[in-house]
Amino acid sequence: MDDQTVRTICYLSRLKLDDEKSKKILSDLDTIIEMIDSLSSTNTENISPLYNPLEETARKFNDKIKSDNNKELFLESAPESDENFFLVPKVVD
Amino acid sequence: MQFKTIKEINAGLVSKKFSAEELIKYTFDLINENKDLNCFISLDEENALAKAKKIKVKKDSHLLSGIPIAQKDLFCAKGIKTTCGSKMLENFYPPYNSKVVEALDAAGSICVGKTNMDEFAMGSSNETSFFGNVHNPWKKGFVPGGSSGGAACSVAAGLVPAATGTDTGGSIRQPAALCGLTGIKPTYGRISRWGMIAFASSLDQAGPVCRTAEDCSILLDAMSGYDSRDTTSLNLDPTNTFADLSKPYENLRIGIVDEFNIDALSKESQTLFNESLKVFESLGASIHKISLPNINQSVPTYYVIAPAECSSNLSRYDGVKFGHRSLEAEDLESLYINSRSEGFGDEVKRRILIGTYVLSAGYYDAYYKKAQQVRRLIKNDYEKAFKEVDLIVSPTSPSEAFEFGSKGTQDPTELYLEDLYTISSNLAGLPALSMPHGFVNGLPVGIQLTGNYLEESMILNFANRFQQSTDFHNAKPTFEDFQ
Repeated sequence: MDDQTVRTICYLSRLKLDDEKSKKILSDLDTIIEMIDSLSSTNTENISPLYNPLEETARKFNDKIKSDNNKELFLESAPESDENFFLVPKVVD
Repeated sequence: MQFKTIKEINAGLVSKKFSAEELIKYTFDLINENKDLNCFISLDEENALAKAKKIKVKKDSHLLSGIPIAQKDLFCAKGIKTTCGSKMLENFYPPYNSKVVEALDAAGSICVGKTNMDEFAMGSSNETSFFGNVHNPWKKGFVPGGSSGGAACSVAAGLVPAATGTDTGGSIRQPAALCGLTGIKPTYGRISRWGMIAFASSLDQAGPVCRTAEDCSILLDAMSGYDSRDTTSLNLDPTNTFADLSKPYENLRIGIVDEFNIDALSKESQTLFNESLKVFESLGASIHKISLPNINQSVPTYYVIAPAECSSNLSRYDGVKFGHRSLEAEDLESLYINSRSEGFGDEVKRRILIGTYVLSAGYYDAYYKKAQQVRRLIKNDYEKAFKEVDLIVSPTSPSEAFEFGSKGTQDPTELYLEDLYTISSNLAGLPALSMPHGFVNGLPVGIQLTGNYLEESMILNFANRFQQSTDFHNAKPTFEDFQ
């Protein structure tokens, strides 16, 4: 993994690696990638991907409005909130 | 009452040898005397005692009525701290109950606390928990396995007769093996994942860790069943494995996988394996060699799919709605980055980064799609094998419990190989059980039985018969190292 790829992946993951640990984590990632590269040796021509072990069980639901409003309950779990909203740092000046 | 099975404790409750309240008080005394095991993250003594006081166990009560159990700390329990072994959820109190918590409460069991685990269930040694390592009750300073390490430790130490676990790549079976217990990962979809904090949704499945197959069947029957809140829940009645323990499953054909290369195991492990096969034969089973040609690709397949699903599932932790929030944020972007970087440990970060990499543009086909294609080949291999045999046997883990810090510190893939024998049943969604079958270097090791889809009854029935003919499940740690 080159530096540019690492920067992109970290940004996409919204993670930053501190200098002390980043060398070790990056070398670990290279080792893991080397291991998963062995997949290329398996012939998968005309094989469809299996995204779920029991494909037939994944069901869809119609969106339904439920009457219970748990706003206060859910806001209790928020690190910062007021009476109605989750609070975050200012986004627009 | 320490080290007793659910049935033995139930007999004591029914005959009024002791009350549910006395049992719970005794359980908390035991837990407090054994705090150095570090198997619990939080305890719920007040609620447990209040529930026990109300319970009158009668002959026709559910077998779990009044039985103390431990819940893995990734099952949401309303108002009870649920951390998933992470600083990210250090102060998270869920506003609702998971299906597993609901179901076991409804059966009358009493949750005494939440067990330690690898952070977000990512690990095979319980060394990635934010709340510290869990000791194997058989040897201080040795791992109990993971990720359900606290669950296995709490049962192996005799603190509770049963615990819940989850298994994404072996996280019930491997700790059960390393602690001398029985644990089953049922067919994918058997137990609802509602309220189970997600790691890799197409692989995650809950299950019990107990002293015996019989106790596992009691818990599995109570935990399983259709739940409309989980879109992958199987539309089936709860299992009936306890009643099926008395069914005559005769002349079972048991397969040994050629590619698992049993000859490469240590001599002691090979001897135990062969001795167990003789017991199987004495129970009327026949042993057959089978081939799973793509099974050796299970580990790399898993380490693409599981991190990919983890990177997606863990994107919800942003420091806004719940979980850890950084105090260092200047704007929204740095709030996300700092909260996640402070809240997650190294193993979780490694897996998120790998997952993001294999899902990113340019790599998706080479890794993610490719792994899902190999996954189908692995599933096809199993489907073919189950036309020839009824159960497949293998060791559960390549080795016995090891010392803290002795594996995976230089090369993380060394620890990933711990799950060599267990991962493929998660990829295929098959049920599999581990049970104790002897000792290597004084530490317990397990043997694994994998069955075809929905064959939990057959697996537990055969494991129960094995345990009626052997004594490994009755062995108890002496705690000599802990004095």
